[in-house]
Amino acid sequence: MASSINGNGFITTTVDELLSWGRRNALWPVTIGLACCAIEMMHAAASRFDIDRLGMIFRASPRQADVLIVAGTVVNKVAPMLKLIWDQMPEPKWCISMGGCASAGGPFPTYSTLQGVDRIIPVDVYIPGCPPTPQGLIFGLLELQRKIREKKVTRYEKAFEEFKKDLSPELLSGIGV
Amino acid sequence: MPWASKDTLERIKHSFRQINIDIQPHFVCINVEDTKDITNILKHLKDVEDFRYFIDFHVIDFPKEKDRFLGQYILVNPYTFERLAVKVWFKNNKLPTAKEIFAGAKWAEREAYDMFGVEFEGHEDVKRMFMWEDYKYFPLRKDFPLGGIPEQKLPSLTEVLEGNTMPPSHDYDIMHTYVPTIKEIEKTEKSRITKRGQLVLNWGPLHPGTHGTMWFLFDLEGEHIIQTDVILGQLHRGMEKIAENIHYFQFLPYTDRMDYLSAVCNELSYVQAVEKLANIEVPLKARYIRTMFAELQRINSHLLWLGTGALDLGALTVFLYAFREREKIMDIIEGNAGFRLTSAFLRIGGVHYDLAKGTLEVAKYFVKDFYSKLKEYHGLLTRNRIWLKRTKDVGVITQEDVYQYGLTGPVARGSGVAYDMRKIDPYAAYDLVDFDIPVGDIGDVYDRYLVRMEEMYQSARIVEQCIEALEKMPENEPYVNKKHPAVIPPKEDVFNDLEDMVKSFRIVVHGENMPKGEVYSSGENPRGELGFYIYSIGKSSPYRLRIRSCSFYNLSVFPKVIEKHTISDAVALLGSIDPVVGETDR
Ligand code: SF4
Repeated sequence: MASSINGNGFITTTVDELLSWGRRNALWPVTIGLACCAIEMMHAAASRFDIDRLGMIFRASPRQADVLIVAGTVVNKVAPMLKLIWDQMPEPKWCISMGGCASAGGPFPTYSTLQGVDRIIPVDVYIPGCPPTPQGLIFGLLELQRKIREKKVTRYEKAFEEFKKDLSPELLSGIGV
Repeated sequence: MPWASKDTLERIKHSFRQINIDIQPHFVCINVEDTKDITNILKHLKDVEDFRYFIDFHVIDFPKEKDRFLGQYILVNPYTFERLAVKVWFKNNKLPTAKEIFAGAKWAEREAYDMFGVEFEGHEDVKRMFMWEDYKYFPLRKDFPLGGIPEQKLPSLTEVLEGNTMPPSHDYDIMHTYVPTIKEIEKTEKSRITKRGQLVLNWGPLHPGTHGTMWFLFDLEGEHIIQTDVILGQLHRGMEKIAENIHYFQFLPYTDRMDYLSAVCNELSYVQAVEKLANIEVPLKARYIRTMFAELQRINSHLLWLGTGALDLGALTVFLYAFREREKIMDIIEGNAGFRLTSAFLRIGGVHYDLAKGTLEVAKYFVKDFYSKLKEYHGLLTRNRIWLKRTKDVGVITQEDVYQYGLTGPVARGSGVAYDMRKIDPYAAYDLVDFDIPVGDIGDVYDRYLVRMEEMYQSARIVEQCIEALEKMPENEPYVNKKHPAVIPPKEDVFNDLEDMVKSFRIVVHGENMPKGEVYSSGENPRGELGFYIYSIGKSSPYRLRIRSCSFYNLSVFPKVIEKHTISDAVALLGSIDPVVGETDR
């Protein structure tokens, strides 16, 4: 924490910084595996790499999570569903694009593949690799922590507005907007 | 695998005059001249000639021919293990459905409709298999471009939010192929089942229990499932289309990404098919290395099944234990191939690198240790009362189902069908090592569990034998058959030898033309029979490459077996079928 400890055991800091400290040290990703990269994501969570150490616990519900790790190929068919999940996550939230496929289509320049998840979700950290090793993923998560520390919270209202346009009213009320 | 013998073909020819027999070195098929006969012929083959094991159905597109689409069935006689292909032309884009004869054809026909736009008379349920309902095109047709048709503006949102940078921070085309809206996806969902029970429950597509992105619809009466449909295609990346557009050797890394849990096994099946097509001999050392890595990969894949399967039923400990061993295997693979998961280690004609120094010692130590680890897993689950209650007599698959739906791998063996390509049609070095095939008897989830556990043990045995054989080999044995014109020489030679450099350059840039002909070849993956059918017209890329996916057919039995069961059994059953989406959807 970029704050000073004075002699009496007090810490002075700003509210913003305190919140950011809390946020960046308890990043809870959503458990969504799309393809091969998801296996490496599982490895990052399992015995050897154990990202619990960094305060990261995978949550199955998007409503309890604040990081979306897009691990794998996003095909056109799954894109709207992924977007729905992204919008179900409460603010503030971040998105990590893991692997070549999620970042830019990877080895699949085909009719059915979305050429980069950033076309539907704004991405904070891109991790290259096919698949990135768990070390790579952890590096990406640490980069995200750094980004949160330096840039504070980035809001994505603009993207959200765009998304709302193509949702039906029933659905919107369904997800509580 | 032996193809249908002369006698059998003769007998068939005797019963049906309107067929031609086509015999190639690695492919035997009968051409049915009149489309109307196909139902009778299939029935005859199934009931009289005992070709009752449905392996595959696929379509090939010939835009210049009169009837354009050619359908092809691949059938197996499970008693003599003869294999036979049946070819038939579509009449006005139509073919009578085979789903009454072989239940597995239901999904295969759906896929054919989705990819080629062909119709099946009498199949009331042809739906889009991989794409969504309103999708306009049929992607595997020859006149459809690989990249699809860009029709929508989709800028990168990161660029939009961070302010447009000129030039863009990474390269992209603003125009994009059509991305459906949620509404269109919902329409696809609604078209699948007509509700008969109290409620339709969606399971997936983005649910941790569905092993990726499968989407199940359960029509429920209380807790009991009365009908099910599975929506696939959430990972359809167009593998078969890609294969038609790139050189043979370039497709190898793509096979890794199909069934990403068993990369080496996929590669092995693929390179085998190409080697059969081009008639390439593989050096003994490479055969042993291939076998060793394929078996390590099998253990690796089964460990993931064990971990996640148990996790789905609530046993977290097993997951952590299994991943501990997985890491060790991945280290061995990484040390040799440079990649943990998608290894791309094999090459057409051999393997990419010689064994890295110390591999054999590490592998030896791993196997020695693995036997005790296997006991540990048994200790955790095999007699565990909760595990027994959840798996015994749940999801029973009968032998008839196995043949009807074309189930292979541990799913078939769990039901007592000893169908294993490693024994029937030994490839790599499987004819030189000793191992057993475990089979179950009732075919419930527990049987499949035991079969897979035993397979891991057998794989460890095979690895041991391979290590032994490799240790005896002299250091500088060749590991690639670089004399063959279609084989890329190993890297170290490319850097040191002008001739090899030129050859490597030529193949990498222009590809190497393969002989004309057809090949269907398959290997035993951890999930079943992974087959590659190659139709070559003498170019450097296949005219049609069909991937006979084991997960796809194994999953197709799910709706039938789960009927009348409860939802909680669905998790257990799916875990025991162990599909991988990368391969079901391709
Ligand atoms: S980047 Fe590579 S490993 Fe990751 S999903 Fe894409 S193909 Fe698979």
